Amino acid sequence: MSWLQEFPALGADQLSALRRAVDGSFRQFTRDHGDTLERMFDPLRDFLLISERLLTQSPWPVVMGGIVFIVWLASRSWKIATGTLITLALIGYFGMWDDTMKTISMIFVCTVVALVVGLPIGIVISRSDRLQRIVNPVLDVMQTMPSFVYLIPVVMLLGIGRVPGLIAVVIYAIPPVIRFTNLGIRLVDKDLLEAADAFGASVWQKMRQVQLPLALPTIMAGVNQTIMLSLAMVVIASMIGVQGLGQPVLRAISNQYFTMGMLNGLAIVGIAIVFDRASQAYGKRLQKHLEVQHG
Amino acid sequence: MTRPLTLSIVVAAAALSLAACGEKEETSTAQAQAPSSTECGRVTVASMNWQSAEVLAQIDRLILTEGYGCEVEIVPGDTMPTLTSMMEKGQPDVAPEAWINAVRQPLDAAVAEGKLHYAAESLQDGGVEGWWIPQYVADANPGIKTIDDALQHPELFPAQESRGKGAVHNCPSGWNCQITTGNAFKAWGAAEKNFVLVDTGSAAGLDGSIARAYERKQGWLGYYWAPTSILGKYQMVKLDAGVPHDQEAWETCNSKTECDNPTKNDWARAEVYTVVTDRFKTAGGPAYDYLSRRSWGNDTVNQLLAWMSDSQATGEDGARHFLKNNAQVWTGWVTPEVAQKIQSTL
Repeated sequence: MSWLQEFPALGADQLSALRRAVDGSFRQFTRDHGDTLERMFDPLRDFLLISERLLTQSPWPVVMGGIVFIVWLASRSWKIATGTLITLALIGYFGMWDDTMKTISMIFVCTVVALVVGLPIGIVISRSDRLQRIVNPVLDVMQTMPSFVYLIPVVMLLGIGRVPGLIAVVIYAIPPVIRFTNLGIRLVDKDLLEAADAFGASVWQKMRQVQLPLALPTIMAGVNQTIMLSLAMVVIASMIGVQGLGQPVLRAISNQYFTMGMLNGLAIVGIAIVFDRASQAYGKRLQKHLEVQHG
Repeated sequence: MTRPLTLSIVVAAAALSLAACGEKEETSTAQAQAPSSTECGRVTVASMNWQSAEVLAQIDRLILTEGYGCEVEIVPGDTMPTLTSMMEKGQPDVAPEAWINAVRQPLDAAVAEGKLHYAAESLQDGGVEGWWIPQYVADANPGIKTIDDALQHPELFPAQESRGKGAVHNCPSGWNCQITTGNAFKAWGAAEKNFVLVDTGSAAGLDGSIARAYERKQGWLGYYWAPTSILGKYQMVKLDAGVPHDQEAWETCNSKTECDNPTKNDWARAEVYTVVTDRFKTAGGPAYDYLSRRSWGNDTVNQLLAWMSDSQATGEDGARHFLKNNAQVWTGWVTPEVAQKIQSTL
């Protein structure tokens, strides 16, 4: 009966040999290709540094005004713009301005990278069911795999700091962009596509002038989700040396600084709400505009 | 409706009979093994989230279970949360490897009150902290002996995110050493010597940065401590501070965030004790005697940790390896009868 109670597992020796072999070949890989890979990510690092310098080294009224203005442009709502102003003022008043700017810069770059990489993938898989079947499980892995599992290999390859942090955040936050782009394009009315065909539109014209515009509100929902997920990763990313609001949260966690943890946590929540309301309002405006056109 | 019901009854019955088999086997072996189980009762042992503490917790678990008939539960922990919980709630019962320098004041107060007790000094040699560089850098630059020497050469320890500057890798966020390293960075005037202080975020981040540098034979300079598996795995050289440890300046300034003009100050040898709650001291009996004798040297620990990382062993594997191969160390901690009992189970 012993085989019923004990799972027929690989022997401890083989298992440890396997683990050592995989680890060893990974070490070899980092030794051989680490430098090259690191150099490939240099432009991304410069982008991160420039965006951070812009936000932290410009005078604060300029940055604050800029953010409020962008939020107003996106939402066209005085209520949301005023809310943003108050949130930012409170964050600054409680001494979290620099950390918050670093976090916003990180989130901004992450969202841009997620869009640049995610939109094309979403468009491609919306056109092929087979590709969709391949990509979907990959997205599932990206969203559920505990981040530290891939963070450590990334740190060995690229060191600690902003770039590996960005990779971790993007891996976690990119699936909504891909999924929602795919969904949005697939949900476009078949009749409209037929009409476009009747006008002799090419594949590219159909995509650019019919499918993408109609899918835009759905895509915006994906962007909104991506921003939210990147913010959720701020604390994890700070564990490999990304500066920003995550660092004081970590410090607060290991020292039981209740107030400090709460304040920085609330700052993360604050900018999350600002981004959420602004991008949602923008998405709604897109929809309204389209509905009017239809009617 | 009846079919799934009968099915579930059959499954339940099968499971019960299987479980019963297992139980019978267990009780029979237990009877054979424990002729004189002393009453030690339930003990919770904190397993801190670094390797040397984890393996020590597992050794305590094995010895207390097999040798003293305790019912040991391992609970994960970290210095501050675990010791705070021990002070406030009396739980867990044992912290096998408590680095007490950072928590000395409240801890001493709790000991004076009789809530907690210091048992053995877990690490005879104490913990060593400081700034380290890889062995190959020290070999290639024999002139670098002290922190001052290293700071003359920013080009040997390049920072990733600031071109043309050197990097000093800081201790993980929230650890007390983050403050002391930050103050040392100021005291040695590293910023004026073209260095930046790099936040590593977590122990995993710090270790990863060392592993990355070591695999590529690049320069690395930063805070680390012994005994650790990283120092067993990657040979590193501790830089001399060049000044003695000044306890008063340390307490008033070097270990405080609000320290405007820190002076150069060496890290003290960290005292590492086993901390035990009052409940366990009175209820544990002979098990407490064991904890008041259990103490090992950094050489033993480094060797064990290096073996563990080489074979990717868990804390429990490490504990068994240690009990099997280092009998001369641990038999001194227990009575000969208990030693025999433990040896028979290995």
